[in-house]
Amino acid sequence: MKRFAVALLAALFAVALIAALLELPAPAVDLPAAVGAKMAESGIAHPVTAVLLNFRGYDTLLEIGVLLLALIVVLAVAAREEAKQPAVADPVLQTLARIAAPLMLLAAVYLLWAGAFRPGGAFQAGAVLAAAAVLLHLAGLAAAWQKPGKCLRIGLAAGFLVFLAVAAGLLVEGALLQYPPAWAGALILLIEATLTVSLGLILAGLFLFLS
Amino acid sequence: MTDPLPWLILLPLLWATGAFLLGPARGARLALAGTAVQLWLAFALAAKVSSAGTALHHPVGGWGAPLGIDLAADGLAALLLILTQFVALPLFLYARAYFAGKSPAFWPLAGFLLAGMNALFLSADLFNLYVTLELVGLAAVGLVAMGGGAQQLAAALRYLFATLVGSGLYLLGVALIYGVFGTVSITALTPLVTADAPPAVWFAAGLMLAGLMAKTALFPFHYWLPPAHGGAPAPVSALLSALVVKASFYLILRLWLHPFAPLTQVAAWLPALLGGAAILWGSWQAIRAERLKELVAWSTVAQLGYLFLIFPLLGADRLALHAGGMQVVAHGLAKAAMFAAVGVLIQVTGRDAVADVAGVAARLPVTLFAFGLAGITLMGLPPSGGFLAKWMLIDAALLRGRWDMVVVILAGGLLAAVYVFRVLRQAFLLPSSGERRRVERRPVATLEWTAFALAAASVLVGLRGMEILRLLEAGT
Repeated sequence: MKRFAVALLAALFAVALIAALLELPAPAVDLPAAVGAKMAESGIAHPVTAVLLNFRGYDTLLEIGVLLLALIVVLAVAAREEAKQPAVADPVLQTLARIAAPLMLLAAVYLLWAGAFRPGGAFQAGAVLAAAAVLLHLAGLAAAWQKPGKCLRIGLAAGFLVFLAVAAGLLVEGALLQYPPAWAGALILLIEATLTVSLGLILAGLFLFLS
Repeated sequence: MTDPLPWLILLPLLWATGAFLLGPARGARLALAGTAVQLWLAFALAAKVSSAGTALHHPVGGWGAPLGIDLAADGLAALLLILTQFVALPLFLYARAYFAGKSPAFWPLAGFLLAGMNALFLSADLFNLYVTLELVGLAAVGLVAMGGGAQQLAAALRYLFATLVGSGLYLLGVALIYGVFGTVSITALTPLVTADAPPAVWFAAGLMLAGLMAKTALFPFHYWLPPAHGGAPAPVSALLSALVVKASFYLILRLWLHPFAPLTQVAAWLPALLGGAAILWGSWQAIRAERLKELVAWSTVAQLGYLFLIFPLLGADRLALHAGGMQVVAHGLAKAAMFAAVGVLIQVTGRDAVADVAGVAARLPVTLFAFGLAGITLMGLPPSGGFLAKWMLIDAALLRGRWDMVVVILAGGLLAAVYVFRVLRQAFLLPSSGERRRVERRPVATLEWTAFALAAASVLVGLRGMEILRLLEAGT
């Protein structure tokens, strides 16, 4: 009976949502056009990266904060002292992981570089780095992580700190995260590069501190 | 530091990350210094807003809405910013003495919590607001879960579920709004949303407000609040009950007043009805509670109800808005004081039970006085801030002939007196002989006096009511 009621409610909700979506009018504000008009000043050739790091860079700054925060929560709940030995995995997986990991590193660097003019960027590159670390752990080649030491903490926070420092530094000249057009490209590259490393560590940490 | 707006967000992020870098259980001094500067910045911002008389804007990235994100500060935002830093500063002193170096992650989590709240108060962009909601929610869940046992983790997971459902509904609403209007800037949306908007907009407004009500623990979405606030360590409960639930309430009020004003008229009775039910049900549960912290947590459910009574009364005379602002401030101070005082009682008696506070009056006069003063604010006795809030609320209700609301407000005050006096009466009883033999810890002076300072502020704020009301007039 309860299940039936829940299913009925969910179905009604879906129907209402679809009905609302079918009657969407043409948007009053044309943001893609606005993005296109300002692309030259953004310091980036790809619109998605320009929106993420320049036009709405503040959202991205806070999102990185959310990721770092998630890691801190994981550490607060699940940090352990003793080292856990990796399980022995089968040799085929180990060989494949050994081949794949360097290639994934290369792919991450490519994704970071490609972000300037085609889909890619720090998030994708960081995710590939983290995947490489998780793969090495699952193949029994790398141990799970214990409580982070000083170096690891610096690595985890570096991307966010660099982003914060750039945001704060730019306040001297103008608004929060207002890149001077001449410097925009270089500053965004600096942020993206450190973010790639930190995001890779954070995403890997979310798995490896818990496993 | 020309413009205080961005620094109110950057500063807590900086000290939170600094505390994380320093390592487990470190960073208290950093946090205290940072929060003191933030308090000063919040007052500076309030002075700027009052003298300007309108909202101040800060276009992030220099682009300006709708392409970029705007930060905006009006009187309401400035008031909540002051309240947040003002309550957080003594609570951080309290937390430093309470945890005494045994809280691995309190400081970074508290920093992210404050940053998220300050960013939420200052944002004028629906999607950016979602990001700030996530910061606040995740930091709050982490604080509840931090280093706790199975029961605390279960409460944290329930809280996580409620907060994720709430922000999920909000995000779905934002997506629909973006689909209809092509922008998420509140300033750009305000002239676009009209009463003949397409159904998707009505649907979106409903989803967003319902999600935020779940996050504010409005009856009947309150089920997650008592275990989460009642199970966390005392300084965390105080932060959550005094400040975090106010953040989502602030957002409801903001959306109600600005982009959604043409839509919300038809349903203004609904939040008031739920608020009335929350007052009666929350007070009743507080009266029946066995545990001290549970009692205070249920009292939060009841006191949040008053905030929702204002919605059908909002109008040109602004009385209801003033009552809401005053109630947010008074309850924030009083509830922080009450959880802080209860934390001392539990530490000293070693047990979290109303029955076990017998005999406390002679040993902890300062703490008990703090509890009583906070109780005065919750009951709404003069000259406290709670009195002023309830007075204006009754005035607004009478002006519109809403006798039913007056009855609920008065009944809520009486019920609050019952649960406050339940604890006070027990504290003046003599302990049974078995109780007396138990070894008891001596109270830490910092804990007692920070609780007292917050409680005194909750009463005295009533005397500064005019300044608060004048600040609310600026551009809200």
